[in-house]
Amino acid sequence: MPIRPNRLLLALSLVALVVLGGCATRPPADDPEAMAEFRQTNDPVEPLNRTLYAVHQGLDEYLLRPVAVGYREVLPRPVRLVVRNFLGNLRTPAILANDILQGEPRRAGDTAGRFLINSTLGVGGLFDIARDHFNVPGHTEDYGQTFAVWGIGEGPYLFVPIIGPSNARDLVGFGVGIVADPFFWLGQGVVVQALSYSRAGATAMDTREGLIETLDEVQRTSLDPYATLRSGYRQNRAAQIGNRLDPRSGQAGMGTGFGSSGRAAPTR
Amino acid sequence: MTTIQRRLVVAAALGLPVALPLRSALAAIDATRASGFIQSTGNDLVGAINSNAPVAARRDSVAGILRRAVDIEGVGRFILGRFWRTASPAEQQEYSRLFEQTLIHNLASRFGEYQGVKFTLGRSQANTEDDVMVSTSVERPNTAAFTLDWRVSDIGGAPRIIDMIAEGTSLRLTQRSEYASVVQRNGGQVSALLAAMRQQISQMRAS
Repeated sequence: MPIRPNRLLLALSLVALVVLGGCATRPPADDPEAMAEFRQTNDPVEPLNRTLYAVHQGLDEYLLRPVAVGYREVLPRPVRLVVRNFLGNLRTPAILANDILQGEPRRAGDTAGRFLINSTLGVGGLFDIARDHFNVPGHTEDYGQTFAVWGIGEGPYLFVPIIGPSNARDLVGFGVGIVADPFFWLGQGVVVQALSYSRAGATAMDTREGLIETLDEVQRTSLDPYATLRSGYRQNRAAQIGNRLDPRSGQAGMGTGFGSSGRAAPTR
Repeated sequence: MTTIQRRLVVAAALGLPVALPLRSALAAIDATRASGFIQSTGNDLVGAINSNAPVAARRDSVAGILRRAVDIEGVGRFILGRFWRTASPAEQQEYSRLFEQTLIHNLASRFGEYQGVKFTLGRSQANTEDDVMVSTSVERPNTAAFTLDWRVSDIGGAPRIIDMIAEGTSLRLTQRSEYASVVQRNGGQVSALLAAMRQQISQMRAS
């Protein structure tokens, strides 16, 4: 690899550490087990993250979850499926770019085929014809995953309000994803801007709707939901990066779902 | 390298090849047996979940099946991890009791919602020296099928479930992280975790 993005991540994390403060207390050096756990948990800015998590929970309780629940109540399942398919199809070019960047010709072929079929036969992406009639389910890819495939470490764990669990690498990937999205460059003006905000809002709503049961269960059963989400996100992310997830379930895990297409049909 | 270190290396080099076959001979579980076990446990669970009995009765029979099929003691110790050793014998005992109640309640209420569930057995493969990963595909009405993997090990001569993995997320790893965090945030006191578990169980009973 000619570039040294590890350094970039390191620099970013250092900036985060210095500017934002709130470092976790390192365990004493004479307690190797505690030290090993501290490293494995990979959460050096835990106090800051927990504050941001509390902010997010406030937003979630009064805004994100109620909107998601209302969305589910107001619109019938088939309509929400169409919304999900459409948003997924819009993400497909970004997924294709990442399939290619990761050197996965077969997955890239699937993604390109899906985009062509669903954009045409699927009426601009409203229907997932590729999955339902050609048996080519979608998969998730994003720039964070590509960085990981290139050997870049995750950097410190970060919890970002609205976006949710992340880390330095995935957050940079998220930013790259926004800028590299072809739709980001499609003209200017009020209409385009309104469309792109609507798209972001709809994506957030659709993603949150898909996570209602999962996150309710975490809140109900966990003694420390913050720690549960952290562990769940990191495991789920590792499985996504290794392409080990079942494409049929196509869930976004506990992340934002900004990277996935062809997600499973709404449950209720 | 000091003499002691050198001796340790030699001992390890000599000892490992002898110790490993012994260990696997004792604890090995073959993939066929593990998948047969998941097949029959899964059939029992599906039968209990889809029965016409009232919710409470269904939940009880699901709990009964899980108590027989899951290595609750071992999973509980794994999850408490390094804090198992720092806990007093009384704490260990109370932890095991509370853990069983929490685990069974959480799993039984989760599976209880799976009315109309069907499952099919997927491939199974030896995972490490002494456990096998059995893959199942779970289908519910109006829901995309998802993969649920079961880690099965030989516990005292019988196959037992030691972990469940969905969406790449292992139940026992996630819960270990959760419990460790509770203990750490309370000055390394296992008693704080026990208090939190007790409170959780009383809330579960109330609801």
